[in-house]
Amino acid sequence: MRPVTTRTIGVVLLALLLAGFFLLGALPNQVASVRVAGLSLLWWYGGVLAPMMAVLVAIRWFAPRPASPPRE
Amino acid sequence: MTSVARILAVWLTPVVALGVPAALAARGPDGLWLGLVVTLAPLIALGAGGVRPAAADGASADGTLFPVVTLLLTVGVLLWANIALAGDVAAWLGAGRWQGIVITAAAGWLLTAWRPLGRTAPMLLAIAFLAAVMVLLQLAWALALGPLAAWDRVASQPAFRFPPSSPWVIAGRDLGVVRGGVPLVFDEVHRLTAPAGGVLRARTLDGARLADIEWTLAPGQTVTLRAGDEILRGSTLRLRFEADKRVPGSPASGMLWADARPRGLGERMGLAVTLLTGAVALLRAGLAARPARDRLGVAAGGLLLAFMWAQGWAVYALIQAPDLFLGGVTLERLLELPAHALFAEPWRRTLQALLLAAGLAAFLASSLALRGRLGALDSTGGGEIGHDPGLWAGLFGGAALASLWPVDPWALSLLALGGAGCALGPAALWPPRHGRTAVTAGVIGLIVFAGLAAVQLRGAGGGLLGAAVAYPALVAAPAGALVLWLGRRIRR
Repeated sequence: MRPVTTRTIGVVLLALLLAGFFLLGALPNQVASVRVAGLSLLWWYGGVLAPMMAVLVAIRWFAPRPASPPRE
Repeated sequence: MTSVARILAVWLTPVVALGVPAALAARGPDGLWLGLVVTLAPLIALGAGGVRPAAADGASADGTLFPVVTLLLTVGVLLWANIALAGDVAAWLGAGRWQGIVITAAAGWLLTAWRPLGRTAPMLLAIAFLAAVMVLLQLAWALALGPLAAWDRVASQPAFRFPPSSPWVIAGRDLGVVRGGVPLVFDEVHRLTAPAGGVLRARTLDGARLADIEWTLAPGQTVTLRAGDEILRGSTLRLRFEADKRVPGSPASGMLWADARPRGLGERMGLAVTLLTGAVALLRAGLAARPARDRLGVAAGGLLLAFMWAQGWAVYALIQAPDLFLGGVTLERLLELPAHALFAEPWRRTLQALLLAAGLAAFLASSLALRGRLGALDSTGGGEIGHDPGLWAGLFGGAALASLWPVDPWALSLLALGGAGCALGPAALWPPRHGRTAVTAGVIGLIVFAGLAAVQLRGAGGGLLGAAVAYPALVAAPAGALVLWLGRRIRR
């Protein structure tokens, strides 16, 4: 089995950020439409928080693997 | 830094960059989903999967011809979509369609054919971004509204009405240039004037009975339509609308725009899979080494800024020009300065010129970056394919000729990204040892994609099947991935 790399974690986190948009939209009683500081929760998440988190994920988890030493 | 600019330029072609604000303006939450996917897809594409094994393993001629030809066709269709958009912009702004096409195609070909200009992509991208941001900031400053307040104003509007400063109200516009597919159905009594006369065809609602009527209007003559009446497609006369009346085809209110019921899960997944596989094909095919972490971070920052710009542009445009909704929001309308009354000359022309310069610079940067991607994939030919003036003249010339007929640039781009994604995506993510395995998987993916795309011509239905037909990559990409997996197991 291949080891789980930090890149894999990063990709999973990005996928979860996308899935979060679905989940927020599917919440009952139109929770996603609740306005906070002038913007609805859905727009806060999809337009501001998720893209910003994506930048942090890219910086933190997408480090290239260190080159392995040449085999003898 | 150059690789950051290339990632951004390859991905954010003018069609994709304008597709996000257009979708945001047209269908708030669905546009938000599109923007989020466009922002995250390149990061997932560059972060996921493995990197191509050493060239000796799989770079035989039989393994590279297929991806090179596929990517060449993809680049051709992407150029076609973007040059067609240039034609749409020219027609919308009152110039000849051919003028926009010739300028962009000639500039694109010159830049790709002349090697010394090959390194100007980062600079062109910076020019595009700065010009677009400058116009947006100028708009925000003139309106004295921050982005949150602007969104709140749009989302609180009781209705989207023609402003008195709208070109549709002052001088009127030719209905023939309205290309969106949204029906022109009126919600209230509306008096229309034909300044130059012409034939107006409408479907009127008389009680429960529909009737198709054709009026031949003299110059300056008016006609009154009632709630439920519809202007039929094919009317090409210039029409003037009344100020402060609801824009036909617009959402009932700002609240409905902001909190509109999103499209079905299948359609949203289809869009996401199409863009994700397309990003893998465009950004990963032939990739020998992953971009460094700091570069990927800068690219992510660039994508974030582009998404922020798209949101701002959509919201400020809706405040100043709710007539965007008339007939449906199309990409070319977002390259027109939405605030005719806000700026006096020569500022108005300057800002409009800046917007067009941003669009052209983004197109040129994309052309250069796409050429570079193609060259990088051509390992056996030493990348010469990226510098062949004859080939690129043919590509730009063909795209320019095809653009003379109006097409939907967004649909064309999705087709290119989906097709490339199904043909190249699986093998780019999980590179096999043998080139033939990748080719087999790619061909199967492409055949499934083409088959479903052909069914699309007969119309897509609802549900998951409808989503699979509307977004063929939803089925074709997994099919290609399955063949790749089987091939890898058999040849192990």
